[in-house]
Amino acid sequence: MTAILNINGISKSYKKVKALNNLSLQINQGEVYGILGPNGSGKTTTLGIILDVIKSDSGSFSWFGKVPTKESRKKIGSLLETPNFYPYLSARQNLSLVCKIKEVDESEVDRVLTTVNLIERANSKFKTFSLGMKQRLALGSALLGNPDVLVLDEPTNGLDPQGIAEVRTIIKGLATQGKTIIMASHILDEVEKICSHVAVLKQGNLLTFGPIQAVLNKQEQVYVAAEDIEMLKLVLAQIEGVSNIKPSTNKVYLLLDQGKDSAYLNKALFDKGVIATELGMQKPDLEANFLALIN
Amino acid sequence: MLNLLKIEFKKITPYTTFWVIFGLVFALIPVVFYGIGQFELQGAPIDMKNTYRFPGVWNNLTYLASWFNLLIGMVMVILVCNEFSFKTFRQHVIDGQSKSDFVISKILLMLCLALFSTIYLLIIGALFGFATTDANVSFTENIHFVGIYFLQALGYMSVALIIATLIRSTALSIIIFMLSILIESIIQAFVPGNIEKYFPMEIIANLTPNPLISNMMPDPSQLPPGTEMPPMFESIPLSTTVMVACIYIIAIWGITYFILTKKDIK
Repeated sequence: MTAILNINGISKSYKKVKALNNLSLQINQGEVYGILGPNGSGKTTTLGIILDVIKSDSGSFSWFGKVPTKESRKKIGSLLETPNFYPYLSARQNLSLVCKIKEVDESEVDRVLTTVNLIERANSKFKTFSLGMKQRLALGSALLGNPDVLVLDEPTNGLDPQGIAEVRTIIKGLATQGKTIIMASHILDEVEKICSHVAVLKQGNLLTFGPIQAVLNKQEQVYVAAEDIEMLKLVLAQIEGVSNIKPSTNKVYLLLDQGKDSAYLNKALFDKGVIATELGMQKPDLEANFLALIN
Repeated sequence: MLNLLKIEFKKITPYTTFWVIFGLVFALIPVVFYGIGQFELQGAPIDMKNTYRFPGVWNNLTYLASWFNLLIGMVMVILVCNEFSFKTFRQHVIDGQSKSDFVISKILLMLCLALFSTIYLLIIGALFGFATTDANVSFTENIHFVGIYFLQALGYMSVALIIATLIRSTALSIIIFMLSILIESIIQAFVPGNIEKYFPMEIIANLTPNPLISNMMPDPSQLPPGTEMPPMFESIPLSTTVMVACIYIIAIWGITYFILTKKDIK
């Protein structure tokens, strides 16, 4: 796997507030990397530093294995915080200006305007746009030149439910094209739906990172109940492929190894003389996992 | 470089505010200049009959236009502050410009605007001159005032650039830019001796000397021996003013770049 972005020990303070504390992270080609954390956890600071608008106090980073330059930024499509355009220029004029900066062919303008569903408003001034349209235009701007790497900061911020769904579809589509996407969000659901990897930040510290299943414990939980809970616990401990046994008042929660399902468990219990009165799968409570992680 | 300039023109071509102020300046200069030549004092025209004629026209016209240079500086304040208030400077950096690209773009734009207004003045001056002057007076005599006017336009715009870069809010920057002459003269009051004559706004303003004062100035060689030049006429030679102005302008560009590199782009 080729490293697209390497962050080595970056720290940043704003006066007395430590915004980022010795952050190191590697993002590889084709990964959809979510940077997850509550507001003020250092997500935007991280993205600002790797895009050269914020100076880090210490540490370094590299894009595509090289020292970052303005040329490397031209190959990255970015959407950082609010959409920034000239209010008196039309959508098309604004994007054609970005084309000039990125040294991209102007034919790209109409292509991305179609992608983000703004082609009908191409000649309207930016200031007449609603927040959702502005956000979509910014996403379109990030897509100019069809970059292989995208940096998106809260891409669904300010959108209505339909807009959110549209933007997520666009991002998922980009991910399937093999693009590397770095996305900051404070919305767990969004990261969970889109990302393959996640890094969790809290008050500038990297709490954990890795593939999303591993970090957020996305494995489905099995719960089982029987007349005799104590007996059930004993028996479960003997069954192969069962782990993480957590008894609650009238049920036992557990995890099953890959390839083993509830039928397997039911049979194994029955063989050992325990009859399950209740047996089912439960979607993991990501919210709870996440909150447990950041608290 | 050319690409940077193209980007700048893409920004201003559809910008109404820019065209309104520039249009106003360009429309008012010839009108006011014509008006000044028509002044009468107690029925008799004051000594202005040479206002439109070569070679006096160049000094007179550029002195008048220098007041409008403040407006052109104001346009620059607005254009630069826009980049901060629309956050487009930040976006440009994200999209692949460098901080030096930003300063170079603005310098190129200033050079173009200054050149544009200088050519315009050249045309206006030539029209007034040819319409009023007898055939055998040289068109080129004193034409250096037009070149110096270019430098002055560049000077005011450079001051505008640095004020806008430092302050970033449009309204406040315009006020500070307009008050900069006043602020400077307050500081000058506390500075001893000759140094006050080398203050930036004073130097830039003096690039286009007041023609009334220079007309009244006695010729030093005609003064009786032992008498000194009256204090109101004591000034630094124009060539020195030009040189100091050039140094200021280049220093301002450098400092502007330095300010940008020191700060995070919010």
